Amino acid sequence: MSGAAQQVITGRYLCHIGDVADGIARGFAVSGLRPKVIVVRKNGHLHAYLDACPHYTGGTPMAWKSDAYLNGAGTHLACHSHGALFELATGECVLGPCLGQSLTKIDVTITATGEVFAAI
Amino acid sequence: MNIIGPDYLIFGVDDLPASIEYLTAFGLKPVGVDATGGLFEALDGTGIIVRAKGDPSLPAPLKTANMLRQQVYGVASPADLDAIEAELSKDRRVTRLADGSLETADDQGFALKFQTTKRRALMMPAEKINAPGAPAQRAPNEIGVWEDMPAAPRSLSHVVLFVPDIAKAADFYCNRLQFVITDTLVGAGPFLRPKANDDHHTLFFIRTPDYMQGCEHLAFHMGGPTELMVAGTRLVKSGVQSFWGPGRHKFGSNWFWYFNSPLGCHFEYDADMDKHDDTWTPREAPMGPEASQIVLFEMREKWAPGGPPPGAGKGPKPE
Repeated sequence: MSGAAQQVITGRYLCHIGDVADGIARGFAVSGLRPKVIVVRKNGHLHAYLDACPHYTGGTPMAWKSDAYLNGAGTHLACHSHGALFELATGECVLGPCLGQSLTKIDVTITATGEVFAAI
Repeated sequence: MNIIGPDYLIFGVDDLPASIEYLTAFGLKPVGVDATGGLFEALDGTGIIVRAKGDPSLPAPLKTANMLRQQVYGVASPADLDAIEAELSKDRRVTRLADGSLETADDQGFALKFQTTKRRALMMPAEKINAPGAPAQRAPNEIGVWEDMPAAPRSLSHVVLFVPDIAKAADFYCNRLQFVITDTLVGAGPFLRPKANDDHHTLFFIRTPDYMQGCEHLAFHMGGPTELMVAGTRLVKSGVQSFWGPGRHKFGSNWFWYFNSPLGCHFEYDADMDKHDDTWTPREAPMGPEASQIVLFEMREKWAPGGPPPGAGKGPKPE
């Protein structure tokens, strides 16, 4: 992360890092993009994925209600269509209908002041 | 074998508090529910029984990650239980419980229970409509909708299963339990109704790989399309994620609206399903968007044309 005051950010604003506490996931709408972007923080690492389960062509939203993206134990992202589980760090499906497929990973940049931008 | 349809579906879930919140928001009534879960019932007493996945009172899980643990079928009388026991005991273990109910499994390992039905007879009007050329269904001054109108699930309608072997599944339910195929979506599977139920389907199969075996969705009957859309709108406003709908299916003619859930499958409101008898000739159509629905809508926030004139509130126009 660069602390330079003149840092040039490319991408779309998602959230402030303070919006996503460690161990939780949240979905953020991005103007002009149909799926939300899921941002999840675990052990200090931030990961972002399209809210689009690969089980269906074109993807389908995964939460059961707003921001409810994790399984009960909080160890995986879950698709609440059919219970598929995805690794937090890689987006790989480890259980369920889309076994072996992965969520679409979104690269993020975090500014010195904590704003999270998506490379989309 | 007068099987009526599913009385209960039993789930062993990963997140019990979330599931209890969901089933309540869906409009089902908790009956004796405590921290270990319990029954959430529709108006006729059918419903969903939910427990934590490690609860020792649950039937064994499927070999997949699906959370469905048992389908409990209601039958008309104890004589029907005797007939089912006699038939299925020919090639599998059937356990008679103290209350007279039966436990067994189908040919693909779905746990089944049969009981004298617990459903209560409903005496409620269907949604009433007025149309030119037909007698008015609503009397003068009887309004059709109001903000806090009731829209509660009336009865557990059907269950849809992901099954690896459609032929084996259809053979078991049709030739052993006297279900009838009403229609088939080729590429997905058949719709079935049991002998003592004239609904287009209480059961539908979708062909899938072994690792997906389980419940794809379950549905509750509503009092009509308006109740379906009112209940669905309330659910979405509470934050629940819509999956598909509202719309109206072709086979079965039922209105539909599907939602994600923390029980590992979709939950559906349905309304106004076709009825059939044994004179019906089953149809076939290839599975796809055209065959599966006559109309499909997508909910949006309430909006109305009108409002302030263009430019109002933006100050004087620049010269």
